[in-house]
Amino acid sequence: MFFELNSFSLIGIEAIAISVEAHISNGLPSFTIVGLPDKAINESRQRVKAAIINSGYNFPMKKIIINLSPADIKKEGALYDLPIAIAILSVSGQIKIKDKDKCCFIGELSLDGNLNPVRGIISMAEEASRIGKKYFFMPYSNAEQASLIKNIKIIPCKSLKDIIQLCLSNENLNSQYFSISRTKIENKCDDLDFCDIRGQLRSKRAIEIAASGMHNLMLIGPPGAGKTMLSKRIISILPKLSLNESIEVTKIYSLHKSNNSNLISQRPFRNPHHTITRISLVGGGIIPRPGEISLAHRGILFLDEFSLFPRTLIEDLRQPLENKDIIISRNNISCKFPCSFMLVVATNPCICGYLGDERKKCTCRTGEIRKYWNSISGPIMDRIDMKVYVPRLEDDDFINSGFTESSNIIMKRVEESREIQKERYENSNINYNAEVSTRTIYSWVDKNNELKKLIPELTKKYNLSARAVASLIKISRTIADLEKSRDIKLSYFMEALQYRINTGLENIINN
Amino acid sequence: MDSIDEISKKILYLIANFNVKQSEIIEIYKKNDFNITRTLNSETFKNKSAPLQLGNDKILDFDNMIAYLGKNNINVLNISGKFYPKLLKEIFYPPPVLFYKGNQILKSDYLLAIVGTRKCSAYGKDVARYISRQLSKIGITIVSGMASGIDYWAQKAALEEKGSSIGILGCGIDIIYPPENKDLYIQLMNNGSLLTEFFPGTPPLKSNFPARNRIISGMSMGVVVIEAGIKSGALITGEFALNQNREVFAIPGSIFNSESQGCHKLIKNGAKLVENIDDILEEISQYYKNDISCDFQNESPADNFKQNKKIDILVKTLNEKQRIVFDCLGCLPKSIEKIVFETKFKVKDLLQIISELEIKELIKEKKYNAFIRL
Repeated sequence: MFFELNSFSLIGIEAIAISVEAHISNGLPSFTIVGLPDKAINESRQRVKAAIINSGYNFPMKKIIINLSPADIKKEGALYDLPIAIAILSVSGQIKIKDKDKCCFIGELSLDGNLNPVRGIISMAEEASRIGKKYFFMPYSNAEQASLIKNIKIIPCKSLKDIIQLCLSNENLNSQYFSISRTKIENKCDDLDFCDIRGQLRSKRAIEIAASGMHNLMLIGPPGAGKTMLSKRIISILPKLSLNESIEVTKIYSLHKSNNSNLISQRPFRNPHHTITRISLVGGGIIPRPGEISLAHRGILFLDEFSLFPRTLIEDLRQPLENKDIIISRNNISCKFPCSFMLVVATNPCICGYLGDERKKCTCRTGEIRKYWNSISGPIMDRIDMKVYVPRLEDDDFINSGFTESSNIIMKRVEESREIQKERYENSNINYNAEVSTRTIYSWVDKNNELKKLIPELTKKYNLSARAVASLIKISRTIADLEKSRDIKLSYFMEALQYRINTGLENIINN
Repeated sequence: MDSIDEISKKILYLIANFNVKQSEIIEIYKKNDFNITRTLNSETFKNKSAPLQLGNDKILDFDNMIAYLGKNNINVLNISGKFYPKLLKEIFYPPPVLFYKGNQILKSDYLLAIVGTRKCSAYGKDVARYISRQLSKIGITIVSGMASGIDYWAQKAALEEKGSSIGILGCGIDIIYPPENKDLYIQLMNNGSLLTEFFPGTPPLKSNFPARNRIISGMSMGVVVIEAGIKSGALITGEFALNQNREVFAIPGSIFNSESQGCHKLIKNGAKLVENIDDILEEISQYYKNDISCDFQNESPADNFKQNKKIDILVKTLNEKQRIVFDCLGCLPKSIEKIVFETKFKVKDLLQIISELEIKELIKEKKYNAFIRL
């Protein structure tokens, strides 16, 4: 006898439909799973057997063969427990599933028949909806995440018994599905707010601009100046995640073990330590998993003590920064993970940390400072549009700085500038000013004669590279968007000049 | 090969093949009433044999070295030679041989050292350039250590003024140290000279630098110290100069700048305070006996910065907002936070104005986040 059920397998972030086939025949009692199962799937024989018996049904003492088709794709995880159990129960004639072609099953069984959550549920639900399935049976705690996907009815189940009863009763499956109200998606921030930070006016303004145009940002400053404090608050001024973005992010996170039930409603802020390995930064493994750069998708990747990160690791960021995704290839699988993030790095200006500080003297030798900066990858420095020095403030700077804006007010401005950008890039695959190509950048200043005259002058004076000029124009564009101005005015370019630091450093070294 | 005379070769041979210490040669030289032939034939050197070791494992071979010197245009001066710096012969342990590149050393009679910190302030840089330029104009050769900071700017200014300059190295002459001063090294090689007592290939060891400093002060009529910390090489040079009976000049600085403390200490101990180069010329007149062309026009430091007038004109062109920010700034660095508080401008407007003033070269970011008037 033969029976077939729909289920899904994960390849990276994408789900593909597979079918779980069961064949039962007379012979010596045995239970075999074929179709490139991994260890966890093979062990599911024991779980399925116990779960069926403990739910009060019979495990057929016959020769059972389970095939996971297509048979040439490697499958992993305990997520086929439920379809296997249902297939066995069906094939042995104990239950009958209505509309089985329109149903999908996924779930891990415990020995008493309860269902445990699985990873990657949102990708599977999306795929199920795409290929036109109607009902998706899944563990209860996965339902909230999966219910984001439209055009599919999520049927949450607490145990194997639940499903069997649901199938046996004549109730309409349509009345069982789970729905989630849209209001649940909120941008919660753990009380981190920019009004906590007094002074640091230039850094705060730079962060506002960087957040608006998704410019990569470098904060340079002595220890204790507040670089980390500033960076952690960038999240609080970024616009809220849209539904689609939320799904994208949740998809990635649901592959990650730490999260398999909640919906991600907050922009990710990833802050890996500098001892991180290459695989965990960019993603990888025998079966590729997303790394920190993908977990920071639609959010911020913050690298504190940037100079301590091994150079090879930092060089790995070059392509993802440019392409906004990373393709990870292993011998039989190649997966693409999205990684559109804003890179924020913080570092000290030298080894002792006090170069350029007002009160404490730097004890580094010139050669050491040069070596320190040389150790930071040039191409990455090039890709960081804004570099700001975060000074340690004097006591009266704190007192004098007076009124500080709260994150909500800044966020409004950022959101407005994002709207303007969205309109501008409507028919292209660009989202933010930071992603614009050089040719477009120069066309922005083509008509501005004042700027056209000034730029070569400044290039000579400050020894700017072509890429530095392009960065300056990009920043000016974002400032113009923040000011709701159609054109890049000279004054915006002037302000942009304040967010670069290269020449300052050279001055200190040569002085 | 021909550029190295027999006496120098003999001395190098003694040092390289018999591991005779340079100081030993000088001692015997002094005992033999400064007769080099008798010195070199002295009995003392006969029973030495260990070859000289440089750095970690580099053993110096005499023949190779002579070939190397010839190939790389490195010249050698010995203590009995005509061109050996006169004043250097007078110090306690003059080096018996000196290696040099460039030819200015043969022409220069009047040498003055300018030394100072590697981490100089904008003020120190200006002073170094000013003093060096003025001295170069009247034909004085600037001696310095080719380090970063004051040394760099002083030597650079001397060469710009078409004067001559000698860089004294704390390592072998074929090593560029510090590497970032390569441009200065090349300029000195072409238009000035480089001089060292260390054998080619000697790395820039820490212990070499005090020895180098004694040569800087020893070969000069005097030492001008521009910005030196309380424990610094420049101060050591100043102290050498005192011991060697040379003139010591010091430039006063801000009492808040720790890099000026050394200069102030020197002044307290009797070094001459320098405001303009007349202060220097007065003291060294005993050496130059009217040889130096005195028909130059002495500019006072204030005249030297004629930009002041230019600044006045520029200030008149400023608009109202720029003027407010400019007036708010002074000679002490002021942070953006303070400027915002005083002017009540918005940060974004202030940053624009700062850029505009920076482009006009009216103000400058002195320390990060803190601005001064120029």
